[in-house]
Amino acid sequence: MSELVRLSDVTKVYQGGVTGALSGVSLAIEQGEFTAIMGPSGSGKSTLLNLIAGLDRPSSGSVVVGGTDLGRLGEAGLARFRRDRVGFVFQFFHLLPNLTALENVLIPAQLKSRASAEAGGRRLLSQLGIDDVADRYPAKLSGGQQQRVAIARALINQPDLLLADEPTGALDTKSGEHVMTLLAQLHEQGQTIVLVTHDAKLATRYAARVISIIDGSVVDDARLETAERRPADVIRVRGEETAR
Amino acid sequence: MRAVFVKTLADLRRRRLQAAVIFITVLLAVGTGMMALTLLTQSRDPYQAAFAAQKGAHLQVYYDGATSREALASTPALIGASSFGGPYPSTTIEFQHGSRKFSLDTFGRDNPGGDVEVLRITNGHWPTSNDEITLTRSFAELNNISIGDRLKVVSVAQRPVLTVVAEVVDIDEGSADLSTQHAWMLSSAVPSLTAPTPRSAFYKMDYRFAMDPSTSQLAGYIDRLRAGLPPGSIVVSLNYLLIRNIFNITNQILTSVLVAFSVFALGATAAIVANLVTGIVVSSYREIGIMKAIGFAPREVVAVFVLQIVTPALAACLVGIPAGAIASQPLLANSSHALGLTYEPSFSVGVGLLALGCALVLVGLAATLPALRAGLLKPVVVLTSAMAPRGASGSWLRGLANLVRLPQPIVLGVGDAFARPLRSALTLIAILLGVATVTVAIGLPRSFQKINDSETSSGNMQVIVTRSEGFPDSEVTRILAAQPETSRVVALTGTSVDVPGIGDAVNARVFRGDSSHLGYLLVAGRWFSTPGEVLAPKALLRDAHLKVGDAIAATANGRPLQLRVVGEVFDVSNLGHELFMDWSTYVQVSPESSPVVYYVTLNPGANIDAYMRRVAAVEPDFLDVQPNNTGLIAPVKIIDSVLLIVAVVLALIAVGGVFNTLLLNTRERVRDTATLKAVGMSPRQVLVMVASSAGLLALIGGLVATPLGVMLNRVLLDAVSYSAGNDTPAAAYSTFSALELLVVLVLGVAVAIVAALIPGRWAARTNVVDVLHAE
Repeated sequence: MSELVRLSDVTKVYQGGVTGALSGVSLAIEQGEFTAIMGPSGSGKSTLLNLIAGLDRPSSGSVVVGGTDLGRLGEAGLARFRRDRVGFVFQFFHLLPNLTALENVLIPAQLKSRASAEAGGRRLLSQLGIDDVADRYPAKLSGGQQQRVAIARALINQPDLLLADEPTGALDTKSGEHVMTLLAQLHEQGQTIVLVTHDAKLATRYAARVISIIDGSVVDDARLETAERRPADVIRVRGEETAR
Repeated sequence: MRAVFVKTLADLRRRRLQAAVIFITVLLAVGTGMMALTLLTQSRDPYQAAFAAQKGAHLQVYYDGATSREALASTPALIGASSFGGPYPSTTIEFQHGSRKFSLDTFGRDNPGGDVEVLRITNGHWPTSNDEITLTRSFAELNNISIGDRLKVVSVAQRPVLTVVAEVVDIDEGSADLSTQHAWMLSSAVPSLTAPTPRSAFYKMDYRFAMDPSTSQLAGYIDRLRAGLPPGSIVVSLNYLLIRNIFNITNQILTSVLVAFSVFALGATAAIVANLVTGIVVSSYREIGIMKAIGFAPREVVAVFVLQIVTPALAACLVGIPAGAIASQPLLANSSHALGLTYEPSFSVGVGLLALGCALVLVGLAATLPALRAGLLKPVVVLTSAMAPRGASGSWLRGLANLVRLPQPIVLGVGDAFARPLRSALTLIAILLGVATVTVAIGLPRSFQKINDSETSSGNMQVIVTRSEGFPDSEVTRILAAQPETSRVVALTGTSVDVPGIGDAVNARVFRGDSSHLGYLLVAGRWFSTPGEVLAPKALLRDAHLKVGDAIAATANGRPLQLRVVGEVFDVSNLGHELFMDWSTYVQVSPESSPVVYYVTLNPGANIDAYMRRVAAVEPDFLDVQPNNTGLIAPVKIIDSVLLIVAVVLALIAVGGVFNTLLLNTRERVRDTATLKAVGMSPRQVLVMVASSAGLLALIGGLVATPLGVMLNRVLLDAVSYSAGNDTPAAAYSTFSALELLVVLVLGVAVAIVAALIPGRWAARTNVVDVLHAE
C-alpha cells in the first residue's frame, strides 16, 4: 500500500483560544485504509479531519494528501482539491435544502465539469439503496436517507479519500448501523476512509486502524488487524480518557 | 419594556449594515418627499400673497384708442367690479438698446399705486418726466438692461431717447421668458410716442372683484362689456387665471414629478424594509424561540423587530426632512423672485411633522407585518430550527438553466434568486421603480427637447428679423431675397380673433410663406393649405367645443371670419389658446396689414453671424436681426435637473434593494455556501453564483421596468402637455431607440452585479469550518 495522507508536525491554534487545537501531530494514512480517529469532544479530531480535507489550514506543519502539499494551494486550489480528491460526509448531512436528493449528489460533478453526471448519480443512489428518493427534497427524507445522499455526494467525483465526521452522530442506532455498513462496503471496494467518531465500539467494529487524540495530541495509534493491539485495548484507552 | 430596548439596541449593534441600508433608503425617500410636500404647500402661496398684496387685476381689458373715456368710465359698473384702474393710455413702442431692438406695450400711468395692479418698485424711482421709463425687473434682467440705461425709441420719427429709472414687479403679467412685457411712463409721455398709424393707440383698464371670479364668470363679464360698448371697442382681454397658471405651471409640473417619484421612493423603501424584516425573522428562528422561552410576550417580540427598523428610520427622518426642506428652497426662491417677493427661507413645522408621521407609519407598517410572523411563531417549533424552511421555489429556473447547460454556479445562482418568492417580489419592486425612473429621466428631457425644438423651429430657421413699424415689408423682403444664403423666408404677425365660446380674444399667429416647414408638431389633422384653414392646440379646441374638421364663425378686426379647423397643433403659448393661420386667411379681414417678423432659413453651411451682420448693416435703425434662440427655457431646465436628481435617488434606492436582498440571501445561506465550498466550489464560483442571482433579478426587473418606464414617460408627458393646454404629439413620445432601452437594461443588470460584489465576496470568503462547526 502507498501513503495517501501525511501530516508532519501539524499544529493548529484557533484565534483567541485553544479549543480543538492540535499540537505537533504527525501521522500517515495508507491508501485503502479505513482509519477511525477517536477522542472526546474538543480533543481536536474534527480539526484534524478539516485539515486533511483542505477545509482549514494548519498554524504550522504540513499536510500532504496524494502528493499534494495543501499548504501550497491557494483558495481556488484548495476548492479544486476538495472537489476532485476528497469526499466529505458531515454529522448533520449539510444537504442543500432547495435541491433534490439527486441534485445534491450531482453538485460536485457539475462544479467540476459540464458533462452530465446524472447516470452516475442515479447509480450511486441505487447502490446506496435510495434511488426511490432521487427527486425528493431533503426536508422529506429521514436522517438515514439524508446521510446516504450525503455519502453519494461525497463519492460522485470518485475521490481518493472519503472523510466522515461523526456520520452517525445525528442518526438513530439502526440508521447509524446502516450508514456504517455502507462505509464498510465502500472500504471493501478499495475506498480509503477516515472516520471521526467518539464511539469506540463503532470505531473498532468497522475501522482497521484507530487513532486516539486527546487535547490535540495523538495518544494512541492502533492497527486492529495486528496482534499487538486488540479492540479491548482501544476501548480501554477510551475508558481512560473518560476517567480523566 | 426595558428588556425590549436592551434587545433592540443589541440587535442594532449586531445588524449595523442593515441599519445603514434602512437609514440611507429612508433618508433618500423622505428627503424627496419633503421636497415635494414643501413645494406643494408653498408654491401657490407666493403668487396668492403677491396677488393680494399688489391688488392684482382679475381682468385686464385693452380697448381701442377711439373708445370714449365716458364709455370706459362706465365699464366697472357694467360688470360689477369692486375696484378698477385706468383707463391708461397705451401704445406699443419699439426701442433699441445696444444692437438689440425690443417691442413693449407701454402704459401712461402717473404713479405705481392705486386700487388695482399696484406695481412694486424693486429698484429706482417712478418716472418724473416724459423721457423716463419703467421696465419690469424680469425684462431688465433677461435683457441685461440696468437703471440709467438709455433706450432709443425707433417706432416714431422723432427717435426720442428714454432713460430707465425703475424696475418693478407686476403681478399681472408673466415672466419675460414666457410672456410679452409691459413698460410705464407718465401719461403725458404716451401721445408723443404713439405712431400715427391705425390701431396704434389703445386704453387698458384693470378690474378687481370682491371674490375671485371663475372662468365662466370672467367670460360673462367680457360678454357684458361687448354688449355695453360699440362694436370693436375691445381689442383683447387677459384674466388672472391664465397669469396664475403661467406662474404656477413650473411648480405644478415639478411638484407632480416630485410627488409621483417620492411615492415611488417611499414604496421602494417600504419594500426594502419589509424585505429586511422578513429576512431577519427568517434567519432568527432559533433566537425568536429563545426570546419566547425566556418570557418575551408576542407583542414584545414584534416590538424588538419593529424598533430595530424604526430607530434608523427615525434618524433618517431627522436628517432627511430638514435636508428636503433645504433642497426645495432654491425652487421657492426662484418662484418668489419671479413674483418680486422678498425670499425668506420657509420651513413648515406642520409639513415636517406630516412627512415624519407618514414615513414612520409607512416604515412601521412595513416592518410590523412581517414582524407579526415572529410574534406568532411557536417556541417549541422555532427552537428546533435555525431558520424558516425554504420551499422548492426557483427549481424550475434551475431546471431551465440546466437545460441550456449553464455553468453550475450560475444554475445555483438563478435558482437562489427566487428561493424566497416574497423577497424576490419585494426586490423586484425596488428594481422596477429604479429602472422605470431612470428610463423616464432619460426620456422626458428628450421629449421636452423635441417639443422645444418644434416651438423654436430649431434646425428649420436660423435667423429672426424684426422690422420697425416705419420700415416697409417689401423692403425687408427685398433685402432678405438679395442675400445669397437665404433659402426660405416665412413672415409672420400676430392678431386677435374672437372665437365663439372663448371669453378672451384668442391670439392668432399669421404666417406668410411656406410655414409647414417650420417644424411645429402636429397632434392630429394636417397643416393649413387653403384660405380659411386654421390649426389650434387642444385647450382652445376643448374650451370652444371644437374638433378637427369643425367650422368656426370667428371675428377679427371687427369683421366676420369663416374658419375651418384642419389640424391640432402643439403650442404652449397662452396655455394652448392660439390659432395658426395663413396670410391668405388674414387678408380677408385685414388687407392692409403687413408682417413684422421674418423667420429666415439659410442654405446649409451658411455663416449665420456673417449673414446677420450683413442684413443688420443694411438698415441698422429699422431692422433687428437676431439668431434663433433655441435654448431651453429656465423652467424646463429646472424640471430636467430635478428629474435627474430623482432618477439618481430612485436608482440608489433600487441598488440598495438589490444589495439588501443579496445580503439577506448570503447570510441566510451561509451554511449552504459553506457546504458548497466544502464539496469543492471555488471562491470565484461563489462570486459568480451570488452575481447570477443579482443579475437575474435585475434582468427580470429591467424587462418589466423598461416598458413601464416608457409608459410612465408617456403618462408624465401627457400630464405636462395637459398642464400647458395641449395633447402630446406622437413625435414627442418616440424618444427611445431599441438599442438605448437595451443599454438601460444591460446597465441595470451591470449595476446589480456590481452591488452583488460585496455580499458575493463575503460569501466567497465564508470560513467553512467556522460555519459548519457552529452547527
